[in-house]
Amino acid sequence: MIRPKGFRAANKRYLMIFVPMMALYCAALIFAMTFIDMKTASAAARTGAALGVSLPLAAILWSIMRLVRETDEYTRLRQLQALSEAGVMLTALVFVLGFMERFNVIPDIPLFLFGPAFFFLYGFAHVRQILGKTV
Amino acid sequence: MENTIRTLRAEKGWSQQQLADLLDVSRQSVNAIETGKYDPSLPLAFAIARLFERQIEDIFDDGRRAAE
Repeated sequence: MIRPKGFRAANKRYLMIFVPMMALYCAALIFAMTFIDMKTASAAARTGAALGVSLPLAAILWSIMRLVRETDEYTRLRQLQALSEAGVMLTALVFVLGFMERFNVIPDIPLFLFGPAFFFLYGFAHVRQILGKTV
Repeated sequence: MENTIRTLRAEKGWSQQQLADLLDVSRQSVNAIETGKYDPSLPLAFAIARLFERQIEDIFDDGRRAAE
């Protein structure tokens, strides 16, 4: 079990993963969209592009969870509240849009859009905390 | 829970950030504790008490001492 390391050490370890992984994500996304034609490229190239973009995001999510485990108690509480709010709001969104899709009210929505939606809601929950609001 | 951290911090001449650095917590944590928005865990309360060289009861008041 990872023991709490305190605010500064936890933040440092978080940024050591977040900054390079975000840079890698941006570079992989730009490279994939600029140099790989998804209609004509080989399956290996398309797979590589997909993993090159998605694995850094997975690493960032893992670093967020590690930050939550290692940081100081109040920051952990705020992070857990933001994560749980984002999770609840995203789940509600999935249900609403999912049933609208199933009942042919709206066209199919690409699954990967729920990833950015989660990060948006996570940020939104943090803004709500700053404003002193909770669900 | 009420506490005297703001007063004790002022006596030492520390900013919230300086106190946060000494406790290895975020400045927001110090602010939340000072304003009573958040009650610290027992280990953190002990760390605060040690830093100010006081007893925990001298810093934190749960409002029951008057009743006793």
